[in-house]
Amino acid sequence: MNQAPVVDVRDLHVRFGDVEAVTGIDLEAYAGQATALLGRNGAGKSTTMRVLAGVVPPSSGTITIAGLDIRRETLAVKQLVGYCPDVGGLVPRATPWEHLQLSAKLRRLTGWEDRARDLLGRFELGDAMNRVTGGFSHGMGRRLSVVLAAMHEPQVLLLDEPFDGVDPIGVEATFEVIADARARGATILLSTHLRDLAVQACGTALVLRGGSRVAAVDAEDMAGEEGARAYRALLD
Amino acid sequence: MPTALSSTEAGATSRSPGHLAAARRAVVDVGILFRFRKQAVRRRHLARMLSLVFLGITSGAAIVPAFVPGARGPGRAFDILLLVPSGMAAILVLTMASAIASGGGRELISRDHAGPHPVSPTTDHLGALLLAPLNIAWMVQAWILLGSVAFVTPLPHLFFAQVAMLLWMTFSTVAGQVIAWSVEAIRRAPFGIAVTRTLLGCVGLGAAIVQMSGKTTELLDHVPTVWVFVGAVDGFTWRWADTVGLLLGASVVLIVLGALPAHLAARRMPRDEARMETEQHEPRSMPSSVLGVLIRTDRASVWRSVPMRRGVLVLAVGPGLVALFGDLQWQQMTILPGLVASGGALLFGINAWCLDGRGALWRENLPAPATALFDARTWVLAEFLGVASLITVLVGALRAGLPNAEQLAALVATLIVVTLQVVGAALRWSLKHPYPVDLRSARATPAPPAAMVGYSARLATCTTFTGLIFSGCAHVPNWRLSLLVAMPCVLWSAARLARTRRRWEDPVIRSVVVSTVAA
Repeated sequence: MNQAPVVDVRDLHVRFGDVEAVTGIDLEAYAGQATALLGRNGAGKSTTMRVLAGVVPPSSGTITIAGLDIRRETLAVKQLVGYCPDVGGLVPRATPWEHLQLSAKLRRLTGWEDRARDLLGRFELGDAMNRVTGGFSHGMGRRLSVVLAAMHEPQVLLLDEPFDGVDPIGVEATFEVIADARARGATILLSTHLRDLAVQACGTALVLRGGSRVAAVDAEDMAGEEGARAYRALLD
Repeated sequence: MPTALSSTEAGATSRSPGHLAAARRAVVDVGILFRFRKQAVRRRHLARMLSLVFLGITSGAAIVPAFVPGARGPGRAFDILLLVPSGMAAILVLTMASAIASGGGRELISRDHAGPHPVSPTTDHLGALLLAPLNIAWMVQAWILLGSVAFVTPLPHLFFAQVAMLLWMTFSTVAGQVIAWSVEAIRRAPFGIAVTRTLLGCVGLGAAIVQMSGKTTELLDHVPTVWVFVGAVDGFTWRWADTVGLLLGASVVLIVLGALPAHLAARRMPRDEARMETEQHEPRSMPSSVLGVLIRTDRASVWRSVPMRRGVLVLAVGPGLVALFGDLQWQQMTILPGLVASGGALLFGINAWCLDGRGALWRENLPAPATALFDARTWVLAEFLGVASLITVLVGALRAGLPNAEQLAALVATLIVVTLQVVGAALRWSLKHPYPVDLRSARATPAPPAAMVGYSARLATCTTFTGLIFSGCAHVPNWRLSLLVAMPCVLWSAARLARTRRRWEDPVIRSVVVSTVAA
């Protein structure tokens, strides 16, 4: 791989009091590629995603996004990133359109409305765009989180459990978002428990266990029965 | 909070244990849930200390005034003696209003957490009763009542009188709870919101007519609390035994009866919440500034929340009406903004970042300076408290005539100082002790009950003290004095707020807050 990684993580550690959630992860992700983060609950996937989104500061390690140090240039990194958090990710008493307006204003977007409407339509949220998200089902919330992450066509797309509780149409729309992002040269990191979907969406897979990386493989190697056995062996 | 027809429900299933067994199970369930909540108390030594302080103050209020000079005398003590029955009636009305506003009282366990468990409406009803006294307003009412009775009752009768007064507090709480469940059951029925609003409107209109016709005193002289009070201070006699027996019996009956409307309400959809969540909010044009769009989002989070809308209505209008009917003078009105601002902060301000709920993670990822988020939240909180206080003062001022310069300066200074004090304290606590809370339900509170007591006590003490200082200033014939006194208070509060703002800029502190409220 000759090009420089867009997401470059070296020896990432994240501690919450006495608990070390991430214990030295190294990760590289490149433009136009989708990388899956796989692992059991508590493996450190979501914490790593939160660090890359600039939500949780790293306890130690070096993290650069498009050459920007996430510690020192957090705001600039946030401009480049689109983030779908693992839990909720929606302000309960704001409507989807108000979420989009807020995101657009803070990113100084112009002429974003058509794309936003198109995305809401693709995720079948057009009819609900003026209702507060507190009344949304779990799947609707997940779908809207993906829309919010993708709306500004970010250079780095971070999707944390985007398929969780989502119906097949939502899954398909998310695949489209990932494919579009890859096509325009964005870097995608996808955290999920669903190995089959990760294999379909991504080219590379990183397996995390106990807060550190235990394998980096081609996603294809995780496919099928054999892939399932290999994955299981990595988890135990 | 009730989630299912549970083992505690009589007639729920073929394995139903019957009414008595179901009630017994409900009581046991309350104990289980209470212990569960108790385990989650973070600072236990503080909770223990607060419990002792509560017992100390309550005992003090019940005994000390009896030994104060002037007790049982013909002057002030006699005036208070005449007012106690009215005060007892006011306590009953206030506990009802409080329970109605909170949609049936507080939850021993939140609806989300109770979801997977078979918690019955009876358990919920008993849990709300158990938590009702964990409220500074309830405590202050109890202390004032006990203190007043101690001041006017002959010493040999004091113990018996205070037993009766504690039973009155119990009866008022239980009656308030029953009324609240009944109102909630009606509110959740078809056209329920219109019916409850009409009923409340009629009550308000009735009160206004009585007040305007000048018959308030006559009415208060005939309230049944006079009978209760006479029996309470009669010493250890048959009359006292009658009174106590009646209060005790009525309380027990009401506790049992309260389960009926609680069950009825639990079977119906909460319409206010459902309407809020399904209503269409037409898109508005984008504000021109980043701060503007952040403020608009926060404002929507506040005004689209059922507990906040109801709470602020009660807070803004309630004390104003009391001031209006009580014919409060301008000098005394400086107490009101502090009380209203403190109450308003308890609706969400003391855990201000919980407004974003699980959206906090997404918001934190947005490319906005941390200070902009802080400024927007500060503005919206100050606006919320300021508007509520202003409405109270305006309602209260309807009969007070025109203020002179000293009174006006004192009131304006109070408004500014207490708003800053409360906003500063609330944001400081929000940063120090965030809680994951969903303010969706009308019964939700931004922090656990014990923490709410601590916060409300601190806020009420600080703002009442400030109000009293400015009340004193209003008597001095120089309007500049209030501004002079306000200056250091404003600077001190502003400096503390600025320090909280700097702490919010620390990404480590912020990440803890965000991760907690989004959990």
